[in-house]
Amino acid sequence: MIEFVLDSRSKVNTYMQLVQQVKQALRVGLLTPGDQLPKVRDVAQSLAINPNTVLKAYRELEIEGLVGGRPGVGTFVQRTLASASLPNQAELRDDLVAWLHRAQAAGLTAEDVIALVETTLRATLADDAPQKEPA
Amino acid sequence: MVLEADRLGKRYGSTWALRDCSLHLPTGRIAALVGPNGAGKSTLLHLAVGLLKPDAGTVRVFGRSPYGDTEGLADIGFVAQDTPLYRDFTASELVVAGGKLNKRWNAALARTRLAQLGIPPDKPVGKLSGGQRAQVALALALAKQPRLLLLDEPVASLDPLARREFLQSLMGSVAESGTTVLLSSHLLADLERVCDYLIVLNASQVQLTGTVDDLVAGHRQLVGPRHDGGAVGGVAAVIRASHTDRQSTLLVRTDGPVTDPAWTVREVSLEDVVLAYLADGTTKTSHSEWGVAA
Amino acid sequence: MIWLTWRQHRKQAFYTLLGFAALAAVLVPIGLAMRNTFSDLGLVDCVSQLARADVAQTTRETCDAGFRRFGNQYGSLNLVAVLLITLPALVGLFWGAPLVAREVEQGTHRFVWTQGVGRNRWALVKFGLVGAAVVILAAVYGLGMSWWVDPLNQAAHEGRLGMIVFDLQGIAPIGYTLFAVALGIFAGTVWKRMLPAMGITLAGFIGVRAAVEILARPYYQAARTKTFPIEGDGPPEVSRGDWILTQGVRNPDGTMIAEDTRIQCPPGGKGPDGRVCGAELGVEPGAYNWQLYQPADRFWLFQGIETGIFVALAVLLLYLAVRRIRRIA
Repeated sequence: MIEFVLDSRSKVNTYMQLVQQVKQALRVGLLTPGDQLPKVRDVAQSLAINPNTVLKAYRELEIEGLVGGRPGVGTFVQRTLASASLPNQAELRDDLVAWLHRAQAAGLTAEDVIALVETTLRATLADDAPQKEPA
Repeated sequence: MVLEADRLGKRYGSTWALRDCSLHLPTGRIAALVGPNGAGKSTLLHLAVGLLKPDAGTVRVFGRSPYGDTEGLADIGFVAQDTPLYRDFTASELVVAGGKLNKRWNAALARTRLAQLGIPPDKPVGKLSGGQRAQVALALALAKQPRLLLLDEPVASLDPLARREFLQSLMGSVAESGTTVLLSSHLLADLERVCDYLIVLNASQVQLTGTVDDLVAGHRQLVGPRHDGGAVGGVAAVIRASHTDRQSTLLVRTDGPVTDPAWTVREVSLEDVVLAYLADGTTKTSHSEWGVAA
Repeated sequence: MIWLTWRQHRKQAFYTLLGFAALAAVLVPIGLAMRNTFSDLGLVDCVSQLARADVAQTTRETCDAGFRRFGNQYGSLNLVAVLLITLPALVGLFWGAPLVAREVEQGTHRFVWTQGVGRNRWALVKFGLVGAAVVILAAVYGLGMSWWVDPLNQAAHEGRLGMIVFDLQGIAPIGYTLFAVALGIFAGTVWKRMLPAMGITLAGFIGVRAAVEILARPYYQAARTKTFPIEGDGPPEVSRGDWILTQGVRNPDGTMIAEDTRIQCPPGGKGPDGRVCGAELGVEPGAYNWQLYQPADRFWLFQGIETGIFVALAVLLLYLAVRRIRRIA
């Protein structure tokens, strides 16, 4: 069982923080298939947040196939994120290091790099997820 | 629909405490009623619990008009501002009193809650801390097992720790019971993580109402070259604008994606939205009060 | 609801009863002593003898002497009686005024009126229970005072119908107390704070009581008149127990020549300067003493009317209070 914590200064909204914490726990192996997530009531009470927010986070995880609800019992982990992404990360990291060297050679400072990454990231993700804009 | 108001109004003498108030609160929501002091929050709650009779329009709770409707009271739990209780009664006597005053009354539930919170049963509630007294009032309201819980500024007078404990205990019990909740506060920050529905009152009128998700998704901040007031694609209304000689910052309600490359579009927080609407209402009122054009 | 009312007011009820017990502890021994003296002086016989028309001169003189002695000993108790007429007002102040005002002042009306009973029922039960308790208290008090004050009444010529003594005894205190409580409750629904409500209650109570006493009570029934000759033998005829509203001396043509007096001269009597009795007042031959009065046997009728008026006012005020409560939020 894990315990959720909220970062009150984070701009990320509450339900997304819960989702990210579960995913993080899955990545590092803190949660493995069969583990139970905290009960909605307990999370709502200990964090003093709306129970619907917790439900929404769990539903999101369910849609992604990471967890499954058993009526009357609770929500349980079905899949882990740990194994798949770790080797990928190493490879991507090598690419990134190579790219950063090129950027440095081209005269970009660290701040220039960050600004470039952020704008590109936003543009790319916006293209990938147009449904996030209100219709 | 739990609560519906249609052009609801309440007047004290010649001043309207609440005017043209139309809103509805769907089942299962935890709704925050936000607005500055004197905006009409208490008046709205008093109308909903039948303490006040409307002077205009209608208010319905579970389809019934609450004023003078004793039977309807069984479905509404109400905690008034400053959590008034008989100060010389002990918490356990208040639980007994509640049993005598209500047909449906879960005394065991109230006792269990109070025991969990460590409230002394035999001490007059006037001698308890503000936080404990608020917890007693909440436990009494929940013992009615209401379908709608109305809380008037429940945390305003509490210190930060008691505030958190109160909201924890409220959220825990709502998660269990599924009660619809409407709670008021003059500070959104107190309720931001708690509510999923929002009603903003200002100057006795409803400024904004809707689910938190829709409100956040439906508003954007735009930064771009100085704006002359012309239409912008995807913008339904400009809520608040501030200008320098070159640049304009707009908080807008959107009705589609803003694609104009001149504008940098940012997502907004719930607080940004609320503040924009409150500021807008305030300037409008003060202009009319001073008799000058806005 | 009954439990709640009891729980809320039990302390107050305890102190009220304690106060009454203390009052009884003081008054009952005095009352008993007074009755002993009364019979020791043979005044019980006097009362029955004086009621007859043919009273022997000597009996009358002995009895009058006895009444005087009794009056000297216990007359100061009439002052105590004056203090006691404030009791209904006190009950109104401390039981009536806070009943609604205190709830509103502390905000607890928002708690209790939003429970399952509703405020109409709340008002009816509270008013009913407090009213019933007050009626019982006032009845005990009124009848107790009737017993206590009886010897003083007998000794005084005025009897039970006089101002203040009438107000102390019988069933009138029930009406007064109920009225005071109702006025307090109503004031609490209008001013909604304890102190103003108490102030208004006190002022209103004194005002209405005085108005009824002075303006209405003498006219509950048409007053009777009685005349006595100016010249007569023996001590002046006294009408024991009658409530004399006005008296004076009138000339044969009916003009009042001296108000609030009564004169009596021996037959053919002359003043020191040789003038006819009462000549300095302008008495003409055939002038007579005149009095307007309410006879003593109307006591219970008047008590009934007085109580009726105040109970009716109380009911009206309670009705208005219930209506006002519907508008308090």
